[in-house]
Amino acid sequence: MTGMLDSGTRLTVETGEEVQVVDMLGAGGQGEVYRVKTSAGEKALKWYYPTCATPEQEGIVRELVSRDFDDDRFLWPEAYVPWHHGSFGYLMGLRPDRFKGLPALFRRQLRTSTRALLTACLYTVEAYQALHSRGIAYRDISWGNVFFDPDTGDILVCDNDNAVVEGDASGISGTMEFMAPELVRAEPGARPGTQSDLHSLAVLLFMFLMNHHPLKGRRELAIHCLDEAAERKLYGKNPLFVFDPADDSNEPDPMEHATVLATWDASAGALQELFRRSFTAGLHDPAVRVRESEWRDALRAVRDAVVECASCGRQNMTEPGEPQPQASRPCWGCGALLVLPPRLTVTTPPPRTERHIRLPRAARVQAHHLEAEPARHDYSDASLVAELVEHPSKPGRFGIANRSSRTWAGTRSDGTSQQIGPGQTVPLRAGLELDLGDGSRAVVRAK
Amino acid sequence: MTALVRRWATLAESIQGTGKRQNQDWYAFSGTGSSADPLVLAVADGHGSAAHARSALGARFAVDRFVALATEFGRAADACHEPGGLARLMNYARNDMPRALVQSWREAALGHWARHRPVADLGLPEPGPDEKLTLYGTTLIGAVVTPWLLTAWQIGDGDLAVVGHDGSVERPLAPAEDDLGDETESLCGPQAWRSVRTHWAPVFEEARIPRLVVLSTDGLSKSFASGDGFTEFVGDMDERLATEGFEGVRDALPDWLRHASRYSGDDTTLTAALLHSYAARPQPKPDTEAGAEPDAVPDAEPDSTPGTDPGTEPEPKKKTKET
Repeated sequence: MTGMLDSGTRLTVETGEEVQVVDMLGAGGQGEVYRVKTSAGEKALKWYYPTCATPEQEGIVRELVSRDFDDDRFLWPEAYVPWHHGSFGYLMGLRPDRFKGLPALFRRQLRTSTRALLTACLYTVEAYQALHSRGIAYRDISWGNVFFDPDTGDILVCDNDNAVVEGDASGISGTMEFMAPELVRAEPGARPGTQSDLHSLAVLLFMFLMNHHPLKGRRELAIHCLDEAAERKLYGKNPLFVFDPADDSNEPDPMEHATVLATWDASAGALQELFRRSFTAGLHDPAVRVRESEWRDALRAVRDAVVECASCGRQNMTEPGEPQPQASRPCWGCGALLVLPPRLTVTTPPPRTERHIRLPRAARVQAHHLEAEPARHDYSDASLVAELVEHPSKPGRFGIANRSSRTWAGTRSDGTSQQIGPGQTVPLRAGLELDLGDGSRAVVRAK
Repeated sequence: MTALVRRWATLAESIQGTGKRQNQDWYAFSGTGSSADPLVLAVADGHGSAAHARSALGARFAVDRFVALATEFGRAADACHEPGGLARLMNYARNDMPRALVQSWREAALGHWARHRPVADLGLPEPGPDEKLTLYGTTLIGAVVTPWLLTAWQIGDGDLAVVGHDGSVERPLAPAEDDLGDETESLCGPQAWRSVRTHWAPVFEEARIPRLVVLSTDGLSKSFASGDGFTEFVGDMDERLATEGFEGVRDALPDWLRHASRYSGDDTTLTAALLHSYAARPQPKPDTEAGAEPDAVPDAEPDSTPGTDPGTEPEPKKKTKET
């Protein structure tokens, strides 16, 4: 592929190390990415287009490199590569193949699941929260920067070369689609920062779950190629949510926007409510935007309430927590009414918080379920505490297997008790109470 | 047909498939490659079966709508040099242009249906939009070239090849896996924009501008015995351009496509743009017969002869603009 750098080109990193270009991996909006050989193995080299290789950009990259940010959710600039033939760049880790982009999701080129998407959203929220807690505003949250594993929901945030220390007035880049309306309107005093990131984050989450942009309804259809004035109106001057409860003039077009009509119907009310706030009041008042902690709480609760359709097996969101009178909803795939499996209510140690986990086949309890304020959620096997298993010789009978290293104390509804050691299973019965240790308790409920 | 332009020379040809009642391919090229007048190339291949009875028109609508949208895109690119502008342009190319293209094509096809409704005469019920659009089903490959940007889009089969400044031949829009049999993705498919593939390639150094861009319908690639046949064909074509010059290739192209069409049995269409500075420096090779095919073309027996009367060549399907 023809790019700015030929295969075999040797470049000297600021640290003095020499790296060699292997091949080009892709071209983006600011530059090209190459695979390079280094003494520490293969790395990725971002190389800026000459028009983007500005002193300001160089300053941002140098600052980010110096921060030495160590977080496995980000491909962070690791080393600055000085000017060569009119441009410069930086080294970062290579993105593993398992991480895929959102465009592939939108094009239905990936097989994923509702749980994996909710996990990816939760991990994305936590990743940006970690950044913001360090005083760094990302400024360029968009679907081009976030990659996810369609099987596990693990995420990787790439192209982190526009993140700056909060309050830094460096110019912004990117598309209007993810920019906060006050930035699109270029209001005096409006600067990209954590508040504007919250808008971008809400757009990104909407796109993850609804596969569509929240402001692209009927009005979008009238916009011609790169009509900046029209885009400013759509995203800045007069933004209107496609599901605005008070104004349907930008509602989805049934033919052009069929996807979002279907995905919105399939999503949980708890998330719909946060999206409504983000894209109605939150469009005009940055102070009421949905905070990361709110997204985190809603996403983990909805994820714990995902159930499989008994008819077609597809994963469906249901309302988290106590069952609602109108709880029965149809499967988004086949239309059959969903049957809610039993629910495990976990109470954490003080400050006591309840987690409601639906117990479909292979349901899992993770270590973060037992913490009131987990620093980070983790749905991998490494943090597995318990899982629902089927009796090996009695199909249809289930039990809760202890996958932790502690012995649990169980009390049945008739008052009898039993110890459940690591690796042992206790039959699933309504009313079963479990002492999971360290002040964590759980109780099984029929509904 | 050829048109020498300020920066790019373009050529195109379309051959009706053997035994076909109608050529269901369409093509167009326009522009000079300047900022104000971007070079646009497009080919489309109407599906052609009874289910797609109006696909020749569908192919024409696809090409015409693409030329309009891509010209607009190419002109807008001129104002997008600043960092944020580039990202915005790329986002448009990858995400918005496919939707705009599909929407525009649907509008053209449904508009045509509204003006030509056989059901009204036959007293049949009005079909749904999807059923109507199926009649016009087609593929499309299109490219736009400005002084600093090559962007291309493709839905369905067919081929785009780009010969780099160093002579390397790439097929940047080739799918990871070829479609099976005659099944292909189509502009008439549900949410067809999802199937549009995009190639984005800014070029900031004059010396690194690709020297040849070739678009063809699958009538050409299907004629080769091996999967690499099309790539080899383009490599040979590039070599001929260097050794025999533009005129030689232009004169021989109809015969190459005719041969290919005989092998594939399909309509065969090719349009190409070559960097004028490269094509205008032919280095004649006396032992090569003008009009002979590149090695990769099937049927190695050349039946064209030097000095073939251009007037006897098939009429080109369409040329948007003489330059």
